[in-house]
Amino acid sequence: MSSAHVKPLGGAAAGNVSFLAGRIPPAIEIMSKYMKDLDKELFRKILKVVVTAIEGTDCCDALGTIAESCDVPEEKLSSVVAGMHELLRVALRLPPSTLKQEGFREDLRELRISEEYISDFVSVVFGSRREALDIVASQQGPQLPHMDDFTWRVDVAISTSCLGRALQPSILTQIQLSDGTRSHFQVSVPKFQELRYNVALILKEMNDLEKRGVLKIQD
Amino acid sequence: MAEADTQKSLNGLLNGIAQAAYYRNSEITEELLKSELYGELPQDEFHALYEKMKGLLKSIASADMDQNQLEAFLTAQTKKQGSGGVSAEQAAALSRFWKGHRSRVRDSLVAQSRWEPGLKGLNWRVDLKTSSNSGDASNTPVALVELELDRPGETSEIMCLEFDEPGVNQVLKKMAEVQEAIDSIVHHS
Repeated sequence: MSSAHVKPLGGAAAGNVSFLAGRIPPAIEIMSKYMKDLDKELFRKILKVVVTAIEGTDCCDALGTIAESCDVPEEKLSSVVAGMHELLRVALRLPPSTLKQEGFREDLRELRISEEYISDFVSVVFGSRREALDIVASQQGPQLPHMDDFTWRVDVAISTSCLGRALQPSILTQIQLSDGTRSHFQVSVPKFQELRYNVALILKEMNDLEKRGVLKIQD
Repeated sequence: MAEADTQKSLNGLLNGIAQAAYYRNSEITEELLKSELYGELPQDEFHALYEKMKGLLKSIASADMDQNQLEAFLTAQTKKQGSGGVSAEQAAALSRFWKGHRSRVRDSLVAQSRWEPGLKGLNWRVDLKTSSNSGDASNTPVALVELELDRPGETSEIMCLEFDEPGVNQVLKKMAEVQEAIDSIVHHS
């Protein structure tokens, strides 16, 4: 049926767009409308800026420069930027094992994005930068502070005001956290053994968890 | 009977002194010990006894005497003439007391010369990260660790941390280095 080619976006088509989870976000829908008459060069520039933004760099200045250098109306430009950002964000959220390259291409065709632009999107989502983008994404999620630095010193108290010959070793540790706080505390030798045992146990648990295929949640 | 009472009072006195001096129990005062244990004794005599026992305990504790050293020390003290000397009863009480308290007193004295916050407790949990708004549903295990730090005289502070597997591995390696450092000291001394 010829009507299949002119299927309206959203509604019926949305059911086929897999990576968008059944609903096309308005930002992407508006973008696809404006992208038809977008200059290829300009598209590439915007894509580059959007990717840097996803990597966590502030890109207001870069966008400003693009806006000044082209004659595209501001509203149209910001719609395209917002749509591209949303599209990549949604696509990058899914691991490559779930979102296959061919499926992604198909999804973008459904959105009536032209082939040359599709290739550019694909190269971002499935290209060499994917790993770096995933690392950034994993750091953006909610998380507790982690340890940036761990320094230690073993002290032996020789003599103190109340004990002639103490000769008691103890460990002074300093922990630098990723949220900038620095904490130092003393660990007695028995406590240290307990701590070391527990850290080894944690590592063992983590290794076991990775070996146990049952717990791997597959798509 | 009278001898048993004297022993009991002496024991009580030594325990009381240790509570105040080594176990940070400020409720046990000289007045309290006097009224509870030596009600009959004149104040100045009790004070002399209290100070003598306190001094002896201090000498024993600060030198962390073992049983042989203690016997030698007490023998020397019993031979002393006059009010500074120690009676056989007192020597026996001190010897018995020290047998039961030596390690506790020593631990307490070591702790008294510690001013940094100390590690008191440790809790941990291993989670499997499955999904988040930013993606990364890579099913990686993550360790959540809670360290309880005890500041002397203050409420303890809780420090929460997150580790991935390489992070845990790295900490464990550092701890092996610390262990080596401790072993080298302990073996050479």
